[in-house]
Amino acid sequence: MVYGEKKAMKLKLGFKIWLVIIIVMLSLISIFITPHFMKKGVVIQSVEANSTAFIQGLRQEQVITAIDGKNIENLDDFTLALQGKYETNESVKTIFTTLNSEVILYTNKAPELTVSEISKTNLKLGLDLAGGARALVKAENKKLSAEEVNDLVDITRNRLNEFGLTDLTVRPVSDLEGNHFMLIEIAGATPNDLEEMLSQQGKFEAKIVNETVFIGGERDIASVCRNDATCAIIEGCQQSSDGNYYCNFRFSVYLSEAAAERHAEITDTLEVNSTAQGNYLSEKLDLYVDDNLIDSLLIGESLKGRVTTQISISGSASGETQDVAYDNAQKEMHKLQTILITGSLPYKLEITKLDTISPNLGKDFVKFILLAGIAALLVASIVVFIRYKKFKPSLMVILFSFSEVIIILGIASLIKWNLDLASIAGILATIGTGFDDQIVILDEAKQKTILSLKQRLKRAFTIIMGAYFTAVVSLIPLLWAGAGLFKGFAITTIIGISVGVFITRPAFSQVIKRIEK
Amino acid sequence: MEESAEKSKKHWHDRYYKYLLIIPLILILFSIVYMISFYQSNGDIFYKDISLTGGTTLTISEKLSANTLLEDLSGNLEDLNTREIYDLITGEQKAVVLETKTGSVETKEIVENYLGYQLTDENSSLEFTSSIFSENFYKQLLIAILIAFVFMAIVVFIIFRNLVPSVAVIISAFADILMTLVLANILGLKMSLGGIIAFLMLIGYSVDTDIMLTNRILKRTEGSLNERTFGAFKTGLTMTLTSLFAFAIALILVNSFSNVLAQIFTILVIGLGFDILNTWITNVSIIKWYMERKKP
Repeated sequence: MVYGEKKAMKLKLGFKIWLVIIIVMLSLISIFITPHFMKKGVVIQSVEANSTAFIQGLRQEQVITAIDGKNIENLDDFTLALQGKYETNESVKTIFTTLNSEVILYTNKAPELTVSEISKTNLKLGLDLAGGARALVKAENKKLSAEEVNDLVDITRNRLNEFGLTDLTVRPVSDLEGNHFMLIEIAGATPNDLEEMLSQQGKFEAKIVNETVFIGGERDIASVCRNDATCAIIEGCQQSSDGNYYCNFRFSVYLSEAAAERHAEITDTLEVNSTAQGNYLSEKLDLYVDDNLIDSLLIGESLKGRVTTQISISGSASGETQDVAYDNAQKEMHKLQTILITGSLPYKLEITKLDTISPNLGKDFVKFILLAGIAALLVASIVVFIRYKKFKPSLMVILFSFSEVIIILGIASLIKWNLDLASIAGILATIGTGFDDQIVILDEAKQKTILSLKQRLKRAFTIIMGAYFTAVVSLIPLLWAGAGLFKGFAITTIIGISVGVFITRPAFSQVIKRIEK
Repeated sequence: MEESAEKSKKHWHDRYYKYLLIIPLILILFSIVYMISFYQSNGDIFYKDISLTGGTTLTISEKLSANTLLEDLSGNLEDLNTREIYDLITGEQKAVVLETKTGSVETKEIVENYLGYQLTDENSSLEFTSSIFSENFYKQLLIAILIAFVFMAIVVFIIFRNLVPSVAVIISAFADILMTLVLANILGLKMSLGGIIAFLMLIGYSVDTDIMLTNRILKRTEGSLNERTFGAFKTGLTMTLTSLFAFAIALILVNSFSNVLAQIFTILVIGLGFDILNTWITNVSIIKWYMERKKP
């Protein structure tokens, strides 16, 4: 009977400890077993929509293992394999071998895709550590409702996708006072004109005198020619008298039936002027972006009163050299195409917060934080050792704190939580609390009373639970305050201390029971 | 020998614990007076940095002298502040940081013109917060701390269901925050978003030891009051010292590269220091007084 009881007890003791071991194992799996575990190559992060590479079948998330038969193991290999290939203007053949297919491209320029090395963990680092951009946007002079922000999010996401940014999240956030914002986060490299892209309302209007012929967006625009050299062209680059270079761009836009009929109606009333260059209508087609006139186009005589669905939009850009002018013209064209496709945002926007973090700085940051973390853990352990002068319990304190960190990271990779600086502070808070609780357990176990060890440990847990609940409630307001920018800290800490109280601390007290016996 | 030493210590404490309360009382009074005058002259409860007032922080990954930049650009950038960032291991300069109230586009333009090259996401990081948003953000974080404190107080009441001991816990947590705030202001610390987070963390840390102490004294019967207090003192001091030393080391290490983390650690180190005083003088004396009066 007595023996049986003892055995049952032993089994129970084992269970809590085993639970921690299993959860730590699962966490390690969650952190380290990635979709591309043990594979070599580079992962495609984004492919320009409708580019040759896209049409031939290269997609986000695919792993490129070889280019032209040469093995690709890292970013340097990738850069090296493509270096110098597209220097002449002639189309060359490039064979991309991915994990399960082979794609052959004939192009005269580098494939429009971005790649990254295969990550060794499932941990996702936040913007302030991995680099990227974050913008918090609100409407200028207007308090947005929740629905309005949702609409805004849809349009913006669409616009940024059309613009060629794929690795991004756009979502509505709100703060304690009920203000609604749109939060945009872009991982990795950020385009230089992001600010303009975001705050630009993008209201495109084509007017003749004061009558609107068509506007940007799907109501009036059936389709826009892009990435096709036959109907989206940059031409006529030349130096002007002021020393700058100018390039013109021109691309076709296909109007909807309704817009085409409107065009016919308005042009029908116009007169024809004869000039040396040809016969044009008396008024021009004026193009406005956000109420600024960007170009005025002459309308050919043949278009008078005709229901035409195809219209050519043109413009120009300048630069100090011909190459710069060419690039600027391309950018301008791209921007115009984007707002023509996606239409105008319903409000004028204002960027209230914009952070763009260089990916290069982030790398060092992670290294230093790890170093500081290890040093802090070491120092705390020394204090514990000095106090108890026993090797085993002190070692256990470190071991359990460490396992807590692994479990937090495991959960973070499981729920795809972005670890930012605030989350790191949260992990820190967790380790601190963990140390405190374990010291309470150690001291209660050591107390000389008539109470059994089990009862003493139970007492330790009333203290720990008290501290736990005060910590959790004090973190709750942070979930909403300041548009949730510190949610990372609150959530990581809550996860961390909950793991501690419900999983690792019970096991720790069982271990101490064994050591004390 | 040891026992008699302990005994005399206890006697000493029995005689003087009420008078000991004078120390925190003076400090609290001084802090309140200081904060009132601080508020009158500054219009706020602490100095705020760019992340709370609004403005631009520009980090350039180049070996540029912070002093030279400050001298050359002060005229063009409002309230300019500069500092250098060093590699933790090699000690080599990694970057220079500029903080100004000027907007992001303008700042970038001025610095680009000065340096003569473009700032891209390869060679720089930029953080911008509009002043209206900062003000709003700041207000909300203060409200968050206030709510957190109230929630904490409610939980403490629920745990102990006893007025005086609960109030003792809350007073010592409040004193921790107040004294930390005063010292941070005396040191001229410019509070950032991270600093405010640190105050929130401080609520959690300072209450931990108080809860442990109150639990040991209130809910146990074995041993004398002094024995229980001294036992709690040993446990609590170990708790606070492990955190204190860990944060101090972390502070020394991160000081050269992360302003945000450095500030979090600075405030935690100050706060935990005051926590030793407030738990083991303020809280202990109040609860001891209460227990002695309750005795038949």
